[in-house]
Amino acid sequence: MAEHAWILAAVPGIAFIVMAAFGRNLPRQGDWLAVLCATAIFALFFAVLANFLNLGGDSWPIQNSIEWTAIGDFELNMGIAVDPITMVMLAVITTVALMVNIFSVGYMKGEPRYWWYFAVLQLFVASMLMLVLADNLLLLYVAWELVGLSSFLLIGHYWERRSAVEAAKKAFITTRVGDVGLLIGIILFWEATGTFNILEITEHVKNGAIGDTRLFVTMMFILLGAMGKSAQLPFHVWLPDAMEGPTPVSALIHAATMVVAGVYLVARMLPVFELAGDALTVVMVVGLLTALFSGVVAFAQTDIKKVLAYSTVSQLGFMFVALGAGYASAGMFHLFTHAFFKALLFLGAGAVIIGTHHHQEMGQLGGLWRKMPITAATFLIGSLALAGLFPLAGFWSKDEILHAVEGQGTWAFFLLSIAAIMTAFYTARLFIRTFLGKPRDEEVASHTSEVSPVMTLPLVFLAFMSIVAGFFIFHDFGSALGFPGGFSEFVFLHYPSAFHVDWGLVGLSTVLFVVGTFGGAWLYWNGRLDRSTVLAEWQPKVYEMVQRKFYFDDLYQFLIDRVVLGFSYLVSWFDRFAVNDTGVDGSATMTGYTGFVLKHLQTGKVPNYAMAIAVGVVALTLISLAVGS
Amino acid sequence: MVPMENYLILSGILFSLGVYGVLARRNAVLVLMSVELMLNAVSLNFVAFSAYLDPDKATGIIFAVFVIAVAAAEVGLALAIVIRLFRNRSTANVDEAATMRW
Repeated sequence: MAEHAWILAAVPGIAFIVMAAFGRNLPRQGDWLAVLCATAIFALFFAVLANFLNLGGDSWPIQNSIEWTAIGDFELNMGIAVDPITMVMLAVITTVALMVNIFSVGYMKGEPRYWWYFAVLQLFVASMLMLVLADNLLLLYVAWELVGLSSFLLIGHYWERRSAVEAAKKAFITTRVGDVGLLIGIILFWEATGTFNILEITEHVKNGAIGDTRLFVTMMFILLGAMGKSAQLPFHVWLPDAMEGPTPVSALIHAATMVVAGVYLVARMLPVFELAGDALTVVMVVGLLTALFSGVVAFAQTDIKKVLAYSTVSQLGFMFVALGAGYASAGMFHLFTHAFFKALLFLGAGAVIIGTHHHQEMGQLGGLWRKMPITAATFLIGSLALAGLFPLAGFWSKDEILHAVEGQGTWAFFLLSIAAIMTAFYTARLFIRTFLGKPRDEEVASHTSEVSPVMTLPLVFLAFMSIVAGFFIFHDFGSALGFPGGFSEFVFLHYPSAFHVDWGLVGLSTVLFVVGTFGGAWLYWNGRLDRSTVLAEWQPKVYEMVQRKFYFDDLYQFLIDRVVLGFSYLVSWFDRFAVNDTGVDGSATMTGYTGFVLKHLQTGKVPNYAMAIAVGVVALTLISLAVGS
Repeated sequence: MVPMENYLILSGILFSLGVYGVLARRNAVLVLMSVELMLNAVSLNFVAFSAYLDPDKATGIIFAVFVIAVAAAEVGLALAIVIRLFRNRSTANVDEAATMRW
């Protein structure tokens, strides 16, 4: 079964085709087909997993590929490679996709283009599964673009709204900048090794097929692609805007799966990164900057989805830090746990939006826990998991990352601890201002009611996962479920580092959690805003800078307005005057004018023509005589 | 035996007369006759070269025969055009048949 894991991607792919073609005409516009498909791949995943574990570590990675085409000596093979990293991704994708599909039935009820929404969701799942299953960079790149396309389509689902269109464009173009880097990296790899296969590339690089500088440059290009997709500084700008899409899409694509594709890519290529000089240091610095930056920006956001978006960017930074420290297991583990609690938080935000009839500004919410107890309870679990309360999922994975950077120097450890405090802080602020205290807007509060079971059930399941997902790290828990050892041994078989609880680190993490949470609670408890207002007015310039997201969007807007548009004005001027007026129109005018002048030679009198011929012949004869002698 | 140059000089005189006729005459029939003169000058050249330079083969003579045949066909066609011209305009003056212009 594991060697036929491509079926996982084929099922939603077929579902997409069917739903795109007939979805509108199906009963209930085909939403049952989407849920059925998600359930099927969820079940199939377990079949693959069971088979994968049965085959055992010696046969990993399990490969299955066909010859796609051959040009001369060069064979292009397309296929799948299933190893533990793939299995982790499959687990995340199939689980979250099922939850999101079920949730969407409730969330998207009565929305425009209901059938098309579900169809594109299946396209996304198919491409995402293809991305993680691909055994070569070329297939991975195709899937990479397809997930970008589905993300574009889903962000712009409400295309009647201009902001949604702008956000969709922004997401597509920003990630595209990184994608070009990825493509260049892939081409450089191919040129040096003659293959697209990831395992073969790794082998070639280990044998020294690429020079040091060149390898570093190649890995920087690959990293560029990963940074674009995973919204790392300075490509993060698209992710908060992507919140224009329907909220379940934010949960699936912009929290749990697509945005972690960059993390997956780096984890997948980690053996190559390790050989590429300082490449991993770059990864770590990028991750650290991103984690700190978006943690700060999340303070000043008032839209609950925007807070979660910046939180996602920040957590992706954490994963990059772990990868930069060389611990694929820590990065992948945080990816795994984060997928559950962040999907939970986004779906919770979706439930709030539906429950309050489309209000998502924290200034209008508050006191929701009375009206929406299930949402509030699950949201609390998700928040605590994100903030890192012992022993929820986020605690263990954040601990692993802190453990991973311990050996990388104190500055990294210190900065990451700050970022962890900020996580707890903005999470506390989000939860307290949304669910606790008194309702700030009575009219909103009077309309608020708990959402239907089709939406609360996924919340409850994901809350359960947010509690238990962290325990996969334990050896005993892992072997009880059939995994060889805990998470770190499973994911990174070749560099086994058995997990053991470091109580000093546990203590430190708890301190970080307490500091952050109580800081947030002290400022915002019971709906009070006076303390935070004082803080904002104490340094208004700093507050404005944070609120304006450190002027990144303004900077890009400036660059586009002045530099890009200025240059394109120049190009259009050149096109208008040099190419069009002088080149195209100019030659036509010239021809016309020449004809206008020369037409007078055509008298219609035959003797004139005969005379011209005679004179011409005589002239030619004289010339040839003169030249000949 | 008459030297070859004499034939060539004769041919040159004939050709020049033909050119003069074509350029100076206004009557279409006379222009046609001048063209025939030029063609005959060329044929004479062919025959002279053939006889003097390569007497074993008849290459030039065959060319001359072809020129005569083509000239006959051409005259047939050209005279038909001249007749149509005369029927339409009651004149055979080439200067007056000048409608084919811009």
